[in-house]
Amino acid sequence: MSGSETAAKTVKERAKEALRNDFLRQAVRFTTDRLRNARLQAAGEQGNWEAWRERGRQIRSHTIAHLDYYLNRFAENARANGAHVHFAESAEEAVRIVLAIAERKGARMVAKSKSMVTEELHLNRALENIGVKPVETDLGEYIVQLAGETPSHLIIPSIHKNRRQTADLLSKEAGEELPTDTPALAAFVRRRMREVFLAADIGMTGCNFAIAETGSIVVFENEGNARMVSTLPKTQITLMGMERIIPTWADLEVMATLLPRSATGQRLTVYMSGISGPRRPGDGDGPEELHIVIVDNGRSLQLGDPEFQELLNCIRCGACLNVCPVYRHIGGHAYGGTYTGPIGAVLKPAFRKNVAEWDDVADASSLCGACAEACPVKIPLHDMLVALRRRKVEAGRAKRPEALAMRAYAAVMGSAGRLKGALRLGRLAVKPIARDGFIRARIGPLAGWTRHRVFPAPAAEPFRERWTGLRLELEREPAAMDPAVRRRLEEALRRRQAEKREGGDERHGG
Amino acid sequence: MADEAYREWLAGLDAESRRRQQAFLDALAAKLGRPRVTEPPPHPFRGAPDFWKEYELSPEERIERFIANFRASGGHAFRVSGLAEAARFIADKALELGVPAVIRQDEPVLAGLGLESLLPGVEVRVWNEDPAEDWIARAAGAGMGVVLADFAVAHTASIVTLSARGKGRSVSLLPPALAAVIPAGRLFTRLGEVLSRFDETGREGLPAGVHFISGPSRSADIENDLTIGVHGPGIVYALIVDA
Ligand code: SF4
Repeated sequence: MSGSETAAKTVKERAKEALRNDFLRQAVRFTTDRLRNARLQAAGEQGNWEAWRERGRQIRSHTIAHLDYYLNRFAENARANGAHVHFAESAEEAVRIVLAIAERKGARMVAKSKSMVTEELHLNRALENIGVKPVETDLGEYIVQLAGETPSHLIIPSIHKNRRQTADLLSKEAGEELPTDTPALAAFVRRRMREVFLAADIGMTGCNFAIAETGSIVVFENEGNARMVSTLPKTQITLMGMERIIPTWADLEVMATLLPRSATGQRLTVYMSGISGPRRPGDGDGPEELHIVIVDNGRSLQLGDPEFQELLNCIRCGACLNVCPVYRHIGGHAYGGTYTGPIGAVLKPAFRKNVAEWDDVADASSLCGACAEACPVKIPLHDMLVALRRRKVEAGRAKRPEALAMRAYAAVMGSAGRLKGALRLGRLAVKPIARDGFIRARIGPLAGWTRHRVFPAPAAEPFRERWTGLRLELEREPAAMDPAVRRRLEEALRRRQAEKREGGDERHGG
Repeated sequence: MADEAYREWLAGLDAESRRRQQAFLDALAAKLGRPRVTEPPPHPFRGAPDFWKEYELSPEERIERFIANFRASGGHAFRVSGLAEAARFIADKALELGVPAVIRQDEPVLAGLGLESLLPGVEVRVWNEDPAEDWIARAAGAGMGVVLADFAVAHTASIVTLSARGKGRSVSLLPPALAAVIPAGRLFTRLGEVLSRFDETGREGLPAGVHFISGPSRSADIENDLTIGVHGPGIVYALIVDA
């Protein structure tokens, strides 16, 4: 899926791969459709959705604008609860802290619940290197781990795996042929994981929100495995992106209203757990020792950047993936990073402040603006995508690659008329949302397509293979897409202008 | 000895963390282009939008809404006339499921159910009544956990349990079936009514675990096919008891 092993393949192998991709494409569409419809229905049922989104944005923007204050509060309160709090500026540092704890504890096995931060840190590999076995206990994450892959969707990590593949992976673990029906497979996982929960020396969780005023961490989940790993092992380590903070429990109501509805359309996830410190004296369960590792790893680079600070508002719901035509076509792995979809396309270059990491997938994602419209905390993802492209063009001009890219573009397209389109792209980069933005935006990614020669990226190969199909699809459906996309762009423009006029909001305030 | 060395090491780690914390937070303030904020900033957007704070269902509506929403999430919800009826219901279900053991929280209301006498052939255990025992193993071996809800929320159909010495988190998590007794007076309309209480109690008043449970454990990770009970209880009964 993620390899670049295109050469030396027989036709038969390639055909097989194509079939697999066909499954992938159908599965991704089906799932994203399901999640998208569920979100729309849940948002409608809740009512006043725009007011909720606006409140969500306000709370997140306020917290990020005062992040130093709230993080400090959180750390002090978490310590008062008896937790050990650690600050890690970089991925290496976070890994070092976790490994030191694991080594000191003589840990052999770590039971993990879903945590994108641990993916970001490549923590599993680091644990394996010192002889500690990390076990992903979320069903989808477990399937992905057995396959030796990475999650391809924020909410449904194993979206790209079919039943047969899942049964094969689990059968190998079971040492016997398992039936392919869901209850049988789930029953095996339940049995196997019970042993893991009870035997693990360390339970490891992510953190959806951290409440500054009480030092509590809050985890949303549906399976119960996060509760298991925060209830049974003697030691708990929670990895937390430093921007996960919200001020109070009252604010959690807003996040709890937005996150599950946007992710899966649920009124609330089956479990929402607020954990404040290790077990209390006399308690019969819960960890005896709780560590919270607060991770920066590039997040702080967005602070004070008027175009990107709101990126830290993200609550990782996945709604932007489900509406993105690019994600829907190519799935998550082509993004070549921990985070996928429109949010991943922006996070990857932004977290490293390196526009060279801005690749073709990201160019293609700047098409339509559906992501920003779906986002429950109103992150202007589309504006950010366009801004990143502009910055890359600006950075590249010094070294003449833009002209090069245009020539390459013309050569590939073989038409002088198309070259004009590419030149128009140059203007688009400066003035992102024009009234006819859609027409220009549709040309943009084609130019981006030639850029992999200038800025190679790991994801360029698989993406290029699929690009032709995407272009064909977009060209086939223009009539259906045009009015909606145009309306979206116009609305976005109006909204942005209106907000600027109103002023006084906390968007980038401090 | 080894313990001592570990504690020392941990204390060193904590001291290092406090040192780093200042540099870490100073760097954030610098990026935000201002000095460190040390006083509570005004937070005008706290909590839900105003219109929502006015939303309130009548006690009858709350019960109806809870039952409808809990069922929609795949749980079983019923209204019972009193504790005696709740006790009979739980005992019937335990027998129906053929559970070898039931584990319950150490709560006077649950003791009042008299499950021991209603279930003569079934072992009924009380969480943490004897500190020498391995209670996690007991909960893992039980077929049903019985809890008393501290709160419940109609809008999201959630049962809320707070951990304590006699109220292990495992009771509502490890057995394959869960029965929750919800006194009608503890059922609120909105999530925020329960959450804001934790702000009011403040840090010192919070238990280690606050758990909102809104149906049976579920997953859709195998080809979008809904799986119930993959880790937590797959069968959940919510019994709203008229006080
Ligand atoms: S950017 Fe918005 S829509 Fe996308 S994952 Fe983050 S919060 Fe959800």
